[in-house]
Amino acid sequence: MAGTDLLVKVTDDTFAEEIEQHEGLALIDLWATWCGPCQMIAPIVAQIAEDYQGRVKVAKLDVDHNQKTPMQFGVQSIPTLLLFKDGSLVDKVVGAVPKQHVVEKIEQHLG
Amino acid sequence: MSEPSEKSLERMRVYTQKYWEKTGTSPHPEKTVTDAVVTGLALHIDELGRPLCPCNFYPDKKAELERSREWVCACDEMKRYKYCHCLLFVTPDGLPITEYLPEDHEGRQIYGLVRDPTPGQGREARHKVGAE
Repeated sequence: MAGTDLLVKVTDDTFAEEIEQHEGLALIDLWATWCGPCQMIAPIVAQIAEDYQGRVKVAKLDVDHNQKTPMQFGVQSIPTLLLFKDGSLVDKVVGAVPKQHVVEKIEQHLG
Repeated sequence: MSEPSEKSLERMRVYTQKYWEKTGTSPHPEKTVTDAVVTGLALHIDELGRPLCPCNFYPDKKAELERSREWVCACDEMKRYKYCHCLLFVTPDGLPITEYLPEDHEGRQIYGLVRDPTPGQGREARHKVGAE
């Protein structure tokens, strides 16, 4: 299955169920359509979804249509990647970072 | 997905071209990155009357514009530090200039130290750094 097919589309209404009630690691990409760096990191996020299939839940949330979640986590710059472990926020990555940077964060919290 | 008016798109295309020349910065080597940002800025002109940066989250875009012009393109960070986190005004390699940012700024943490290839241009509000 391609990485993009593995991405879970999350909204403010489904955030609690999809992320906060998820056991294990969950990575959520907070993005917007017309954000250039968001477009750069999108294929990296999709690749991570494929590489970590079954080990990390990878999701996306459009901040232009969902404002409660980014407000809750104090997001300003996008893209922002939030990493949750058993429903609790454990790490945050801001900007169009290289894939290895995100992988290192995930590996720190896997196990 | 809404589309901006051709008038606003053209306005932003002309603006970005002039601002690249004025500041000695370059468009991102991936054209889709530049096109997305220019489209987002044009949409904000149509919706809000000002080219608000599309690479931030705002709880209320109208309230943000009433609060400050901080994130109206070219934003305060660009005018002071020559740093564009939206990657619209970058080096020829596609990296945002981070040389002038405070060391604890997230831009330095994300991209490391990126030198300004044209230090004689841009930073028209550099006098405001540390002044507020």
